[in-house]
Amino acid sequence: MEEALINIKNTALSFILETDDPKNLEEIKLQFLGRGGKLTLAIKEITRLPQEKRREVGMLANEVKQTIENTISERLQKLTQKKHISLSKKLDVTNPGAKPPLGHLHLVTQAIEEITYIFEHIGFSRVRYPEIEWDYYAFTALNFPKDHPARDDWETFFIKEETNPKMGEILLTPHTSSGQVREMQKKQLPIKMLNIAKCYRRQSDVSHTPMFHQFEGLVMGKDISISHLKGTLDYFVKSYFGEKRQFRIRPYHFQFTEPSFEVDVTCGVCLGKGCKLCKAGWLEMGGAGMVHPNVLKFGGIDSKEFTGFAFGWGVERVLMMKEGIEIDDLRLLYSNKLEFLEQF
Amino acid sequence: MNIKILDSWLREFLQAKATPKQISQNLSLTSVSIERIQAYKKDFIYDIEVTTNRPDLASVSGIAREASAVLPQFGIDAKYTPPSLSKPKDIKEKTKVTIVNDKTIVNRVCAVAMEVTVKPPPDKITERLLTSDIRSLNNLIDITNYVMRTIGHPTHVFDLDKIGKQTVIIRPSKKGEKIKTLDKKEYILPGGDIIAEDGNGEIIDLLGIMGLANSVVSESTKRILFFLDNNNPSHLRKTSMTLGIRSDAVALNEKGVDPELAMDAFLFGIDLYKKFADAKIISEIIDIYPNKPRLKTISVSKEKIDAVIGIPVSLKTSLEILGNLGFKTKTSGKNIFVIVPSYREKDIAIEEDLIEEIARVYGYHNIPSVLPKISVPKTPALEKNEFFWERRFKEALKYWGFTETYTYSMVSEDLYEGPIEQAVTIKNPLSTDWIYMRKTLVPSLLSVLKENSNRDEVKLFELANVYTKKEHDLPKETLSLAGVIRKPSLSFFEVKGIIEQLLHNAGIDNLSFKKSDSVPGADILIGTAHTGSIEVLDDEVVNFELNFEEIVTHATLKKIYKPIYKYPPVIEDIAIIISEDVPTNEIREEILKQSSLIEDVSLLDTFENTRTFHILYQNPEKNLTSKDIEPIRTKILAALTEKFGAKLKE
Repeated sequence: MEEALINIKNTALSFILETDDPKNLEEIKLQFLGRGGKLTLAIKEITRLPQEKRREVGMLANEVKQTIENTISERLQKLTQKKHISLSKKLDVTNPGAKPPLGHLHLVTQAIEEITYIFEHIGFSRVRYPEIEWDYYAFTALNFPKDHPARDDWETFFIKEETNPKMGEILLTPHTSSGQVREMQKKQLPIKMLNIAKCYRRQSDVSHTPMFHQFEGLVMGKDISISHLKGTLDYFVKSYFGEKRQFRIRPYHFQFTEPSFEVDVTCGVCLGKGCKLCKAGWLEMGGAGMVHPNVLKFGGIDSKEFTGFAFGWGVERVLMMKEGIEIDDLRLLYSNKLEFLEQF
Repeated sequence: MNIKILDSWLREFLQAKATPKQISQNLSLTSVSIERIQAYKKDFIYDIEVTTNRPDLASVSGIAREASAVLPQFGIDAKYTPPSLSKPKDIKEKTKVTIVNDKTIVNRVCAVAMEVTVKPPPDKITERLLTSDIRSLNNLIDITNYVMRTIGHPTHVFDLDKIGKQTVIIRPSKKGEKIKTLDKKEYILPGGDIIAEDGNGEIIDLLGIMGLANSVVSESTKRILFFLDNNNPSHLRKTSMTLGIRSDAVALNEKGVDPELAMDAFLFGIDLYKKFADAKIISEIIDIYPNKPRLKTISVSKEKIDAVIGIPVSLKTSLEILGNLGFKTKTSGKNIFVIVPSYREKDIAIEEDLIEEIARVYGYHNIPSVLPKISVPKTPALEKNEFFWERRFKEALKYWGFTETYTYSMVSEDLYEGPIEQAVTIKNPLSTDWIYMRKTLVPSLLSVLKENSNRDEVKLFELANVYTKKEHDLPKETLSLAGVIRKPSLSFFEVKGIIEQLLHNAGIDNLSFKKSDSVPGADILIGTAHTGSIEVLDDEVVNFELNFEEIVTHATLKKIYKPIYKYPPVIEDIAIIISEDVPTNEIREEILKQSSLIEDVSLLDTFENTRTFHILYQNPEKNLTSKDIEPIRTKILAALTEKFGAKLKE
């Protein structure tokens, strides 16, 4: 019996040491230590031995089992190590990676997504209103006088269509503010809307494209004040441009807000010290203001009960004000050269 | 408009212990934006942006007056000293001048004739004008510009001896009348322009915009007519923009200058002619003033002021601010009543205007930043939010290697698809490249493809509105998603697969593709709704366009759980010989019909007239054996033979 056990041990060890494949080690393990394995069967035989021999043989069997298990695990470790070394030898990690396809979202889309994310976080909801709109919503309802320069043929695009006696001409919206009165007419107060859309003006030069994008915020409710406008601005400026950039509001003039503000952000290059790219440390971001009572009236809202603020800024403008994107000709954005689009 | 003025000039009217930098920063925060300060010799030049509602600030004295009102808010003492003006005394009426006004177009005219000497102006005037970006010509002309910049009202000077009957008749022009401006350019008038003629029918001035060559002063001028006209602004802008004549005078006049200022400018000018052109007054002093502004009273309550600003501002502070700005104030309880000064007449009309005055001088920088605490009442379902889907679709395409483009909504005739007479057309296009509002996106994408012809492989997409004309109404705007792929030996199925996955990613699986009649390609349907199409242009270019709004109506975030099968499926591939006319989808559906144990059928391979289908059998209750499968297979083959004349490929 003892001899048989020693034999089993020796056979097992020779198998183990001869193989180079870790998979074979599993098989060997089964062959000897599995349920029907040679050693297992031999151990079952021990019960047949006389009482006095059982203990001794039992100890030997255990030792054999232990030896086989240990040898397998040592061998496995060694083989794994060997494999790793050979794999590692062949691996040149400086070779190029196999990349999954990755296209590009347009810079304007990326800016719109960032802006949306920021404003949604403080409770604004995106809306969409006509891009081709009645003069009524683009001008009249926004308190523009009949002879205002923005209504000139050389500033705004008009559509060939009969003039409607009440709504006026059809035009391409020169600003997203045309959505303000449409939003108010929904009669769902309070309002916290974000309107991001294409706009059109009759200009094409290095800093203007005839089509561009604006984002418009309108907040309306009870006791909405300049302080709230500043809070919202502060949140946007810090989120979008980073904590180093400061903002200020200063007096300005717009037809549809009173008071009206121009919003400046410190220059991303000099951070407010003043440099060639900015005006005494500041860059103009765009207009804002408290909604004019006449506009509220057009929206069917009682200006004694409700107040609101609005802002409308160029998507391309805020994009250009970010550090690192100093595009010298804005028209490049819409030229769709792949060499340009693929940079972002 | 921007004006440039010297610091030393400003300080003739402003006494304040403030550095140029302080003046610039503090005015920018509370009043006009001083965009730059530039050192000049021992002086400084301010570059000031004046907004259209504040023509009263387009002058040195105007800025000085405003600065005196706002600087005290920053703890800086400031005092405004207005220009000293006095009525001229030594008048010898040697000649008669006749002015005929038309009060529908001109509010006020001041005029006087003087004998003068032409000579260079003093250095101080030349320097101030030059740093203001105004050319210096001779004393007669320079004085008009100097008056305009100092006081803020444009002025004009004629050579009196070039005015036929020493008469100025103001009238609207007739269409087609011709003029030659003092810079020797000829124009044909559009009509309705404000002009003056000399009594002989000759046009001698284009009022408020530019003088004319036939009446301009020169080196040999002996007698002048110093002339101020306060005009109706809308006429001026129309004339100026139509003719393309922009001058400092028109930039100011079109904003509506205070007619009260005309007399100040007039007297200031006469004084300068006396000092620097040895002027002697030789006619009566004419002042025709039919349209005097009416001063109005407005009121505002403290409660309203506090509500708009967001923090309480004391009545005393409000009164002080308004007083410093030139408003006459009175209080009654917590209400403030003000009389608006003439130079703010066009700008200040309602209580919000007064709040703006108080708030800006109080200082926007002194108002705290607080996020509004309002929540919006309606909460729409996320799956109805088109912006959510926009993002998801764009991201998917990006990760499949597409590059997003933004092309103009307005296109040329070449890029317009469909009958041009039904196009949404721009009445005043910038160029014929941008004249029609597009009805489809694909042509724009194809033109981008063309511009990038150096690339063999290009994948582009765009999501934008397309426009359809409606009679007597706004055009219909529909969001459209289009894409185009260029790639050597590109197949229709690559694009079809993209669309299937794109829509699957939005929970839409009830898609079908119908062969198009006109071009190689397919119409895409969700259920029965036509949603778009795929077009094969050649074996390298395939495009697609989808109605994004239609997609959003079907898109869903609903998820359905099916228990995971305990038993493995049986998979079998069957190759059949079948006519090429039979669409794969019909074969697939026929197979699926044969047994409820068939879980899925897909086309594995096509070779000549043989198609191999991959069939997946599944029984949730038990393990399937080949004995279970055999009768189904027989049934499938029988059905395909009967319906399509198919044969099993041996």
